[in-house]
Amino acid sequence: MENQTLIQYGFIESSKNFGRWWQHSEPRTVEGNFPHGDIVYRSSQQAERGAVTWASMVARGVALLCLRLAFTLVKLNYTAVSLFNWIGRFPELQRNVIVEAVETASLAKVRHALRLLNELTPEQRGRAFILELLSTYNLEPVLPPIELALSCIPSQAQLRLAPLNDIEGHITRSTVAQACDVRVIIWRVEELLPEALYPFSNGFPEQLSTRTEEVVSRVHRLVKLHEAHTPATPLFLSTIAFPVHFSNPLFASQHAIALCGALARINRAIYDIASNHSGVYVFDICRWAALEGKLHADALIDFVARQPLSGRGQVAFAVFLARCLRPLLIPARKVLAVDLDDTLWGGVVGEDGLENLKLGHDFPGNVHLRIQRELLELRNRGILLVLLSKNNEADARQPFDSLPDMLLKWEDFALHKVNWKPKHENLREAAQELGLGLDSFVFMDDSDYEREQMRQLVPEVLILNSSSDPLHTLNCLWTTDAFDSLTVTEEDRRRHDDYRVRADRDVRAHGNDLEEFLRSLQMEATIEELGPANMERAVAMIGKTNQFNLTTRRHSRAQVQAILSAPGSIGLALRLRDKFGDQGIVAILLATRSTQDGTLVVDSFLVSCRALGRGVEDALWAALVERAHEAGIHKVLAEYLPTLKNGIVADLYDRFGLQRVEHSLFSTRYVLEPIEVQPPPGWIQLTKNKKGNAKQ
Amino acid sequence: MRQLLIEFFDLPANIPVEEITQPAISKWDSLAMVQLITELQNSFSIEFDLEEIQALRSYQEIHDTLARKGVLSV
Repeated sequence: MENQTLIQYGFIESSKNFGRWWQHSEPRTVEGNFPHGDIVYRSSQQAERGAVTWASMVARGVALLCLRLAFTLVKLNYTAVSLFNWIGRFPELQRNVIVEAVETASLAKVRHALRLLNELTPEQRGRAFILELLSTYNLEPVLPPIELALSCIPSQAQLRLAPLNDIEGHITRSTVAQACDVRVIIWRVEELLPEALYPFSNGFPEQLSTRTEEVVSRVHRLVKLHEAHTPATPLFLSTIAFPVHFSNPLFASQHAIALCGALARINRAIYDIASNHSGVYVFDICRWAALEGKLHADALIDFVARQPLSGRGQVAFAVFLARCLRPLLIPARKVLAVDLDDTLWGGVVGEDGLENLKLGHDFPGNVHLRIQRELLELRNRGILLVLLSKNNEADARQPFDSLPDMLLKWEDFALHKVNWKPKHENLREAAQELGLGLDSFVFMDDSDYEREQMRQLVPEVLILNSSSDPLHTLNCLWTTDAFDSLTVTEEDRRRHDDYRVRADRDVRAHGNDLEEFLRSLQMEATIEELGPANMERAVAMIGKTNQFNLTTRRHSRAQVQAILSAPGSIGLALRLRDKFGDQGIVAILLATRSTQDGTLVVDSFLVSCRALGRGVEDALWAALVERAHEAGIHKVLAEYLPTLKNGIVADLYDRFGLQRVEHSLFSTRYVLEPIEVQPPPGWIQLTKNKKGNAKQ
Repeated sequence: MRQLLIEFFDLPANIPVEEITQPAISKWDSLAMVQLITELQNSFSIEFDLEEIQALRSYQEIHDTLARKGVLSV
């Protein structure tokens, strides 16, 4: 028992994973100044209490796996951590060998893990894609760890390694027909600008300055070349890391044209290119190497094989590469559901009283303030915040109204679930109201009980933190990849307002009952035939709707007209009015009639993000089915084609009661036979169909 | 160490150590050699010098080299 307790201590301590400045696995008290400014952390009995509650709640097997993960985090630098969150759906055997491979960085174990991953079904293994690596140094020995990390995304990556240091030549030879799905260019100063390592032997400063500008021009030319040959292929350009092995390091930072300045100049050009070219991204090796430290490098292997990474460096590099590519394959989580007490502030407002809450610029209130800053930033870049708090609403609102250092506002949360119901019920309701899947949610709570209950009852939800310690929670916010994105669009930045207007209107006055709330919106829907009057809006929606879009077919105006002019086809638009005014056309449905058996085939079905979660899709679907019935059609076929963004409609047709006839990674096909007319949702009043707009 | 080589080259579990040599194992090419150096350095937390990496061409050589570095008993 004593041993077990010691192990638990180790877990709690190491799972905090604060990075290289705090890596130990023995119980002790830590006190000191840490890199993030004003935070001083004292860990002592809190960790002990955390350990005991943890042990009592988590099944032993899971705890042991986590324990191993946690010890791994101590040994590995932190960029490898992300991977362990990705593999949760793999069977236990595969998870264990992956953990062992990553933990030991042993090539034999990496290969063993890859063999076992091969035994999984294609569905478990994830999407197939071709990754092309172009490098100035030899990545061949590193391919197995790269393949393993990419498999954990999960994905079935096929790796293509271009000939060594022949970047332009390889791009020139490539064609659209044999294009890869993603291309990554990896380079370093030793090949790209070796003069910068020996400035005084290479005409410092004038000549070196000229050479640096030549490299910048080379990078620009190369991106043009890529865009000319394979315009649709996403390109990742690596930055240039500051080398581990070079001399005269102090001088290297003293002049704009010395080593550090020259690399900063090139890296700046790379960041500029990424911000000005859609489809070009940065693989920021420079930032990665700085965080990894010099243990990622191995000078001997570099001399032997022109491969600069140590065994552990290879694994960390591979995981970092996978994390950078992952947003192309797996949609980011969209919602963070957070608790109030002991998270947004220290203390419990309902018990300790407003005046005793800890929040502000002094320790420990500064930790909570920093958590609020992180949440506000998430909100402002498109992650919805949902409040899940067991509290009286009046108590919960009090700090928002009167706590002086409160940064977040009540309105910064898209939804407020402040009541005494179990949090998993509140979270499910929130998902429904927002029109988002449960797998879009991340949950953060200081209570071991709440986290464990959520983990068990809503396994789709990602649990952000694993202890009650606020600094641990903050650290999880710093390191999580759940919200990783390569770009932030205007739409992302507006998302909070869009959702709040939709989902949070008057919730207080109407309680939390969804249907009652929807009724209170006094929605009236008009079903219109697609025609000249609404064509422009319909084509615009077809072109840009990503989330509620079953097939994402981007038809042009001419294509829509061609579909509508075919015999028997049906094109419908739903116009919505509610008590806030006319919302315009918010849903489109296009269906064609099979010339062989008269079956109705749904071509496109989409709902504007402004109208999600209101049941307009039910109303439009009911209208379609009714039309089909009237036209004497006996069978309707429909399909769902998954994309990175349309996960919210993955089970729409299941909900409508259609039968699945075929299911693969790339599509799910459904049939409705016989036709059953369904009433539209009771909270939407359907006005008489307009048939005024003739087809074109 | 024998186990490490068996796993690394995917050899039969009962292979006699005398048969673990570079000429006898077709997979033991130059790429595998580079990967093996990393694997050994990583597994035993050691760094080889230039002379030592010339002497890693069989079970016996690797054994002797590691023993000289004090990570294996002779």
